[in-house]
Amino acid sequence: MSDRELLRREMDRVLRAPGERPNASTVVTRRTFLHRSLLQGAAGVAAYGLFPTLSLIDLAYAQGGQGFRFAWVSDTHLYPKTLNTRFVEKASRAFKEVQAMSPPADFLIFGGDLGQLGDPVELQLGSDLLQEIKIKKVFIPGEHDWYLDMGATWNRMFGKAPWTFDHKGVRIVGLDTVSHAEDFWTSRRMTAKERMGHMATLDGTLGGAWAAVGAEQLKWLNTALNDWPKDKPVLVFSHNPLYEYYPPWNFWVRDWLEVNETLKPFSNVTNVHGHVHQPLYNEIGKLRSIGMLATSWPWPYAPEGVPVLTRPMIRADPGEPFDGVGWGTITTSATVRTDAEYKMWRKEVFANAQVDSGTGDNDNQVLTPRIADRI
Amino acid sequence: MLMRSPKLRYPLIAAGAVALLLGIDAGPARAHKEAHTAEQLKAFQDVFIEQVKIGDLLFHGDGETQKRLGVQLSKTGMACAMCHPYTSDTHPHQFPKFQEQMNAFATLRDMINWCIEKPNEGEKIDVNSDAMKALEAYIYWSNRNSKLEPGVH
Repeated sequence: MSDRELLRREMDRVLRAPGERPNASTVVTRRTFLHRSLLQGAAGVAAYGLFPTLSLIDLAYAQGGQGFRFAWVSDTHLYPKTLNTRFVEKASRAFKEVQAMSPPADFLIFGGDLGQLGDPVELQLGSDLLQEIKIKKVFIPGEHDWYLDMGATWNRMFGKAPWTFDHKGVRIVGLDTVSHAEDFWTSRRMTAKERMGHMATLDGTLGGAWAAVGAEQLKWLNTALNDWPKDKPVLVFSHNPLYEYYPPWNFWVRDWLEVNETLKPFSNVTNVHGHVHQPLYNEIGKLRSIGMLATSWPWPYAPEGVPVLTRPMIRADPGEPFDGVGWGTITTSATVRTDAEYKMWRKEVFANAQVDSGTGDNDNQVLTPRIADRI
Repeated sequence: MLMRSPKLRYPLIAAGAVALLLGIDAGPARAHKEAHTAEQLKAFQDVFIEQVKIGDLLFHGDGETQKRLGVQLSKTGMACAMCHPYTSDTHPHQFPKFQEQMNAFATLRDMINWCIEKPNEGEKIDVNSDAMKALEAYIYWSNRNSKLEPGVH
C-alpha cells in the first residue's frame, strides 16, 4: 500500500466517523442546462463556437436566510500581453460575464493564480482587467502570485489574507494556503525567478508539500469562528482543496488534519477552492468541498484520489483554448438552496462515459514523478 | 557505420535474404556474442536516462535545452507539462491509434508535433530529431509501468 493510500485511509479513519456528513438535511443533486444567453441566441457568445453551460451542484442549506449569489474566478495565469494574449482574452471574458450578471452578484471572490510567474506586469494586468468588475471584490492568493517577491506585490495590490466577514447569515473566510513552502531556495542560492519557476511547475519536486494553512493562521481561524453558532453556514475560500486529493501536485493542504479538526464543530461548512482547474466535489466529515474551474487551461484529473462523489468533466479539446475552462457562481437562494454553477464555455460539462472523462479510463496509466529537477 | 551506407546496406540485406532462402546455416543470428558486463549495462542505461532528463527539460519548457537542440516548442509560454503533469494523459502506451484531432492514424511522435503546433503554437520538429527522441524517452519512461494498449482511445 502506498504512502498516499495510507494517508487517505488515515483521513477516513480520523474524519469520517460513521454517519458523519455535512448537515443532515443536505441534498446533493446535479443538473445541467443551457445558459439563458444561448437560448436567446447571444451573438457574442455564439461567435466563439462554444456556449456557456451552467452545471449545477445543488446543496440545500438546513438554515434559512436571505438569498445571495457570488461569483468565483480563479487561475487566470496571466502572462504579459507581449507573450500570450490567450489567457488575457479568457480572463477578460469571465470578468465581463461576471459584471453582466443580472441580478448582479453580491461580490466576486478571486481565488488565486492571477499571474503565471508573479511578475508585477502580470499582476498589474490582472488588476487592470479586474477594473471591469464594479461589484465588491475579495482576493486570496495562489502560489503563482507569491513566490517571485514572497507576496509583496500581491499584498500591496490585493490585500492580505486571511480575512473574514459576515454576509446575509453566512460567515465567510478567505485563507492563504500558498505562502508556507519550506525554504528550498536559500541553500541552493536560487534567484527569485528560479524560485518562482520551481513553484510554478505543478509537478515540480523542489516545492514539496508547500500547500498549508499554517499554525498561525489556524489559530486565527479558531478565533474567527469562535463566536459563530455551530449550526450556521460557514463558507471557506482557499486556493488549494482542504482535503487530501493528490499531494504530489499540492491538491491538498499538508495540515488537513488540523484544519478539519478546527472546522469539525460546525455542521454546515462549504469549502470552495481553485488550483485544480477542474470540477470536483467531496465530503470529509462535515466539510464539503467544491473545486472550481480555471479560466486558463484544464488540468487532467490526478492519477488517483479523485473523490467518488465527483462527477468528472468531459475531456477538453487541447486545440480549443476556450474549452474545458470558465468560471462559476455560488448561489444561496431564498428557498435555502445553494447552487454551485460551473460556467464552462462549451456545450457539455460532465462526462457520461468513462472513455470521455479522463478519470475512470485512466486505470492503466501508471505515472512517475519527474527526474530532471531532482537537484 | 557499414550499415549506414545505403550503397552497402542493400546488397548485404539481399545477400542475407538469399542465404536464408538457400537454407545456408550461417550460425545463430545474434547481435551480441559476448555477455554484457555490469559496466556496459550501466552505460546503456545512462544513455537512456540522459535522454529522459533532456526530454523532461524540454517537456517542462526549459529554454536553454531548446536553444541547444535548435527547437522552439512553444511561442505562448505554455509548456507540455502545463497540461500534462507527470506526462499524464499523454498515453504513450495507446499509440499508434486513430487520433481524433488529426482525423488520422497517428504515432506518439505525430501527437507530440500536433501539440507543439496547435496548443503551444511552436515550431513542428523533425520526427527523427534528437529533441523528438528525448521527448519520447521522457514520456515513455514516465509511463513505463502502464500496460501496452495500442489502438485504445
